[in-house]
Amino acid sequence: MFIKRNYKIFLLCITVLLVMLIAGCSGGGKSSGEVKEIKIGNILPLSGSAAPVGKIGQQARDMAVEEINAAGGIKSLGGAKIKMIYADSKGDPATGVAEAERLITQERVALITGAYQSGVTLPATEVAERYKVPFVCPVPSEDVITERGFKYVFRLAEKTTWRNREQVRFIQDMAKKFGTPVKTVALIYENTAWGQGAVKGWEKYLKEAGLKIVLKEPYPANSSDLTPVVLKVKQLKPDVIMMCSYVSDAALLTNTFAEHKVKPLAFIGTSGGFADPVYFKTTGDNSEYFFDISTWEPDVNRPFSKEVNEKFKQKYGYPMNAEAVKAYTAMYVIKDALERAGSLDPEAIRKALAETKLTSGVTQMYASEIIFDESGQMVNAPLIISQFRKINGKMERVTVWPEKEARPGWKPVWPFPGWDK
Amino acid sequence: MRNFITPRYYLPALMIFILLLIPLFISSPYILHIMAMVLFWAYLASAWNIVGGFAGQLSLGHGVYVAAGAYVSSLLFANIGLSPWFGMIIGGLVAALLGVIVGYPTLRLRGAYYALATVGFAEGFRVILINTTKIGSWHTGGAEGFLVPLLGDAPQHMQFMSKVPYYYLALVLLLIIVGFSFWLDRSKLGYYLTAIREDEDAALALGINTARAKLIAAALSAFFTGVGGVYYAQLIRYLEPNAIAGAIMSNQIVFLAIVGGRGTVLGPVIGGIFLTIIGEMTRILFDQVMGLHLFLYGIIVVLFVIFKPRGLIELVEKPYEKLVKMLNGRRVEGAS
Repeated sequence: MFIKRNYKIFLLCITVLLVMLIAGCSGGGKSSGEVKEIKIGNILPLSGSAAPVGKIGQQARDMAVEEINAAGGIKSLGGAKIKMIYADSKGDPATGVAEAERLITQERVALITGAYQSGVTLPATEVAERYKVPFVCPVPSEDVITERGFKYVFRLAEKTTWRNREQVRFIQDMAKKFGTPVKTVALIYENTAWGQGAVKGWEKYLKEAGLKIVLKEPYPANSSDLTPVVLKVKQLKPDVIMMCSYVSDAALLTNTFAEHKVKPLAFIGTSGGFADPVYFKTTGDNSEYFFDISTWEPDVNRPFSKEVNEKFKQKYGYPMNAEAVKAYTAMYVIKDALERAGSLDPEAIRKALAETKLTSGVTQMYASEIIFDESGQMVNAPLIISQFRKINGKMERVTVWPEKEARPGWKPVWPFPGWDK
Repeated sequence: MRNFITPRYYLPALMIFILLLIPLFISSPYILHIMAMVLFWAYLASAWNIVGGFAGQLSLGHGVYVAAGAYVSSLLFANIGLSPWFGMIIGGLVAALLGVIVGYPTLRLRGAYYALATVGFAEGFRVILINTTKIGSWHTGGAEGFLVPLLGDAPQHMQFMSKVPYYYLALVLLLIIVGFSFWLDRSKLGYYLTAIREDEDAALALGINTARAKLIAAALSAFFTGVGGVYYAQLIRYLEPNAIAGAIMSNQIVFLAIVGGRGTVLGPVIGGIFLTIIGEMTRILFDQVMGLHLFLYGIIVVLFVIFKPRGLIELVEKPYEKLVKMLNGRRVEGAS
């Protein structure tokens, strides 16, 4: 009897599989003369450890596309609507490659966006390049993505090392402005792709600026105690401490610095953990006067920034972050390119993307001017520095640099005032 | 001669023939890519099966060998232009050497030591890959990963623009490993391994050098896995330590082999084919709800494990035997 029941379940499984197989094979491959909708493929980590960031990227895209479609779609294509197709990369390079293949050859998308992680973007963009399908990367920052001589890859984000370059510029600017010479720097970074990329950038730009690196201290990202690192820094007394950390280690570093009352001229973070809302919860007042770099802040002084963020908050219940802003902006960059291309020919779309010059509209919330260079890299990706300040008893990120994008009425506090605040 | 036209010979031949013909009927590069990946996973599961199945020694760190093969061949390719075809051999040998390094001290012990050592070794190897950005003047990319140079159509360097050669290459690899498993299952070493798996004391008492037999199995398994790594490197062309040497890769290999039926010639192949297809199907068909595909995949796997604990092979074996008998019967009838 048991065997019989087994057999039934087995049959059921096989039936389900067969149905799935048939359904899977019959999808895609339709084409019609008139353009009614424009399919855009999006590769994002929708499951796995990066799923939350994949989700907010999806929501930002959806909001932009709803707006574009509601405003009449792509007019040069007879008001064709944009249809978004999402593919889950699971944060895995091999899956990203398979999904890029599928989006291009099965779904026949006009272009692709994604893929959040640099590790997935690198091989996935190679697939797109092979099929000559444009690939817009709103977020991934690893330098090499736009340094491979590819023609169909466009990046709306900054390169990793640009952040380091801006941090160094900021230090020099502050040193001059406040008359506090900066000579020595300590670098503390988590030891994965991200931190290793950051240290390359720091070394390059600090050397150019004539600053001395007195300490280069990598640590494993999931460290449970960073006291040895902090004590090393304390002993060397560097003028500036630069950090590249995930959230738990960023908080641990901050609290350990507080405990040992380490007092340089400035603490500077590199987004990531420092930009995570959890960071403020676990550090409390300890993080006050720390600096952090990013491309967008809710308080940044740019047109449309407040309105779009407000709308997003209404729709999804939480504010945007820099990645969401980039994803949102990317859809408008694509819309603009499609309007000018006036066709779904990949070559026409590629050409239109390459000729992008956006200086008005909602993309202003991200950058006043969006243009791509020969390599498909956005020129002058906007980077800003914020300082953590206690306002009405609550920690906030206050944009302070560059001056014209700063929160009106706020200036950087430099040097670090010390721990007895 | 007459023996060769029995179903026992022509049925497998027919299956191989069908697999060979598939690219003629499927033009979608995506489907071919997925099928190549399916065969590749079946290959890895079969390679693991040599030590994990036949010898019964649970290795939970086969990602190391995939990574070793992939990195060794790709580094040689990128730096001194050595074709990955030769890299396959060297990568496989390096992987085998690593297999011996892990196995030599631990395979003489009983219990969980070997399994623990493989986990620890794999994790250590991953951390080394993440933290090493250069070997001499050769860049390995560290945690940022290593990009294998794209040459376009370069058959002499195992790179093709079309997916068809990748498919055939995976098929050939799979046929080799299945042939090898088939031979191993009936060889003296195979009997040694079975004896060790069933009762190590009895095997020792019979005069089998159990440590040596296990070590050979571990090295062979690592060799084939390393060769697979070279294939992966040329198909995906991007090596990321976490994806290739991490626990996900190691566990997936074990998982496919065990669900398929460890210790059998075709179990891991069936496991690899079934589960990879199910994983791909669920991901594409249930993409509206985040994570639903993994949930469904999990449920399907749990159902199989509950009802077919010895592996999917059980499901295939009986109908296959029946079919063989039926065809045999018909032939005899026709002859008479």
